[in-house]
Amino acid sequence: MNLDWLDAFLISGLFSVVIIIGLGLLLHLQLGLARIANFGVVGFFGIGMYAFGVMFVKVDWPFSEVWAFFISLAFGTLVAGLSGLLVGWLIADLDEDGVLVGTLGFATAVLILATTEQDLTGGALGLGGLKFPYDIGSVKANEFLWLIIVTTVVALILLYVGRVHRSPYGRLLIAVGANEPLARSLGKPAFRTKLWLFAVGSAGMGLLGALFGVMVRFLDISNLGIDVTLAAMVALVLGGTARVWGAVIGGFLTIGLFEIVVQSYIPFPQGWYGQAIPVVRQMVFGATLIVVLLFRPLGILGDMRRDKLMRSMHGG
Amino acid sequence: MLDFISDSLVIGLTEHAPLVLASIGFALLYRLTGLINVAYSETVTLGAYFGMWINTSFGFNFYATLIPAGLIAGLLSVGTYFAVFRPAKKLNVGALEMIIISFGLSIFLRHGLQFIWGYPVRFYDVPPPDTFRILGTGVSSFRLLALISVGVLALILYWFIQRSSFGLRIRALASDEDLAQASGIRPLFVTVLIWFIAGVAGGLAGAFYGVGSSVAPLLGWRQFLFILLVVLVGGSRGLGGVIITGIATGVALAAMSLQFGQVLYAQLALITAFVVILKWRSRRVAETAKV
Amino acid sequence: MVAEAKEQQPPAARPQIKVEKAVKSFSGRVVVDIDELVLGDQPIEGLIGPNGAGKTTLMRMIMHSTPLDQGTVTLYPSGINGEGIVLSALPTHRMARHGVVKSNQVIMDFDKLTILDSLLLAVAQHKYEQPQRIFDEKRVYDESAARIHEYLEFFAFGDPTQFAGSAGEKKLLDIVRCLLLEPRFLLLDEPTAGLPEELTEKVMQLIRDLAATGTAVVIVEHDLSVIWNLSNEVHFMAEGNVVMRGSPQEIRKNKTVIEKYLGEGHV
Repeated sequence: MNLDWLDAFLISGLFSVVIIIGLGLLLHLQLGLARIANFGVVGFFGIGMYAFGVMFVKVDWPFSEVWAFFISLAFGTLVAGLSGLLVGWLIADLDEDGVLVGTLGFATAVLILATTEQDLTGGALGLGGLKFPYDIGSVKANEFLWLIIVTTVVALILLYVGRVHRSPYGRLLIAVGANEPLARSLGKPAFRTKLWLFAVGSAGMGLLGALFGVMVRFLDISNLGIDVTLAAMVALVLGGTARVWGAVIGGFLTIGLFEIVVQSYIPFPQGWYGQAIPVVRQMVFGATLIVVLLFRPLGILGDMRRDKLMRSMHGG
Repeated sequence: MLDFISDSLVIGLTEHAPLVLASIGFALLYRLTGLINVAYSETVTLGAYFGMWINTSFGFNFYATLIPAGLIAGLLSVGTYFAVFRPAKKLNVGALEMIIISFGLSIFLRHGLQFIWGYPVRFYDVPPPDTFRILGTGVSSFRLLALISVGVLALILYWFIQRSSFGLRIRALASDEDLAQASGIRPLFVTVLIWFIAGVAGGLAGAFYGVGSSVAPLLGWRQFLFILLVVLVGGSRGLGGVIITGIATGVALAAMSLQFGQVLYAQLALITAFVVILKWRSRRVAETAKV
Repeated sequence: MVAEAKEQQPPAARPQIKVEKAVKSFSGRVVVDIDELVLGDQPIEGLIGPNGAGKTTLMRMIMHSTPLDQGTVTLYPSGINGEGIVLSALPTHRMARHGVVKSNQVIMDFDKLTILDSLLLAVAQHKYEQPQRIFDEKRVYDESAARIHEYLEFFAFGDPTQFAGSAGEKKLLDIVRCLLLEPRFLLLDEPTAGLPEELTEKVMQLIRDLAATGTAVVIVEHDLSVIWNLSNEVHFMAEGNVVMRGSPQEIRKNKTVIEKYLGEGHV
């Protein structure tokens, strides 16, 4: 395959955008619908990434690498889902403050464990040996194919989120987010709803983490910083917390701007890319959160339009 | 065994004394304005950086740097109030959004500080401290003085809030704004005062953290989770509760670090314990029924 | 009179609720203190009393949205002699499954949900509300559309795909949500407050119909004409306890009630 037309930076830039959009979409179910601010996105992302990586690299698999790959992927997803269940149980009946502590604490715990359990994770040195489950030639070709695969996964997540909006489940999430006591009095088990929301959302985040790990092929604890949570949150908030397409639009406008436009298309002095631009990027992201939430709290797309949706589904 | 206890006590108190001070500042904001201010961690970082800068640029003694470090952190705190939190309150931003806003502000300030002072870890330029032996444990003079200073500052703050007439006004404002206003308290002045004091406490804590080890952009953020845990768990019993919980946390961290031979495990155990406490307590707290 | 009613109603038809030794206080002030109270003897029972008598709190205690300091609330699905379910040991969301449903005194709504959403939420069974059930909207709608539209037409709601606008509309929506849950024991906290007269009539008609089919109804209402009109029995609450019960006629004539609550010339 001739991929000369394709810039390697563009592949990795697009990949970051796609991963963050995926995380933003899952965060949307929690923050946008059920109104739970998950500040531990990177924890679930990271635990999936490391559970997959450790399983794949450290276990002596008796069968082919492809099988080992998919079993490890499932394992990473499952571990993230289970940790979501645990965190969900801890925070489902706490208020915003408690949710902040619980989710942030979980992300910190994952970072701590990845650092201390060096035998498994490589600690601060990192863990190598991850690879694509295929080999179609050049590194670029392999990465490009992986980008397409992950984009498909994120497209499926988008589809799922869209369906959730059009299903009784989505309505329940919105109801629990808008008025939990009232939802409960109508017989809705708010606690269990949040629990499963966290389990499913976290499993998805863990899967994305594992897919991300495959692309970078080397896991180190610098991937477990608050940056991932921030990126997913700023993408979602800018695009529109309550809307299906919010994270998609926001993802391109935030990560896309920095990882693709600034990285490849604006000729900044070479020295800036290492130090200054990442710092400026974080400042811009932080400022974006503040400005959007102050002046347009529901982001570019605005509020969800249940009236339109209901008319299109049951109108006439 | 006795050694272990005395070591834990001495190390816990001296090394984690700034945590108590930082928690008092955060608790002031939390209890009196109801706000979980993630950006508070940046006042801690700023205090550390600014003190270090004065100290290394002008050769000031560490204790002389405390005053400008505390002042600038207090001013930053007041600045964030006017630039972000006051407008947010006027725009009726919800509690959930408020936390995210403060998170965004924290990220913004943290990287702003990094932009100013650069990425490498920085150090205070202080003469190598003498070592004392207390209960058989070696303690540097700095840590000891830090402990004493923190203790004094904490007591002053405690007295100021709980006993002085200013404190009375502050607490009156927090419990009922309208009533406080009607009885002649100027809300803006008192609110600014709260933000200032909180910032000063944070900045001083940062300076002590910084001189105790090093100064880095993530200094405040690394402490934030523990500050938050101390305040949420201890805060329901007032400032006294915060102080006691802070001390207990420091001692527990030191004890577990000694036990596990690894600070991170101690932190992990502490995070877990605190979150479980919050969970357990939430089950007992009577919900205020709305339906 | 009580004997008559018992003959008319086949025994074990209507559920009853027994409140025993129930105490609730807020910051030291006792709001409800009931030694024993049985609700559901009669199809429709009114609960009246001065402000602060603890009527709303009692209802919330039955729903267990306000936890009891002590005491129990027990539901007897087929009358007081049948088996009991201790409601005060269950979380709020389990009440609806046992048919115990309450409407709200203050206006309660889901901001972002339309009228239709709100009603579909009420009728949707939990099995359809799982993360993996993302293709079940049509099924839920088809199962309940007829019932929902019956209510919508009865109350002459506007376009159900719109949001509830006025306070009255939200109030009605709250009641319809309760009715869609097919209550066996319905608690109504000021259901007609703020409603225009014709809608009050309609709500009262629905309540009567519901009671006639064996649902027990307990109603708190400040508009006493509703109470006199609807109730078969009236409980008079004061200072956290039911101090008197009887037929509407008896209660209306009682001096204490008049002094404490109604005021001269109110009857």
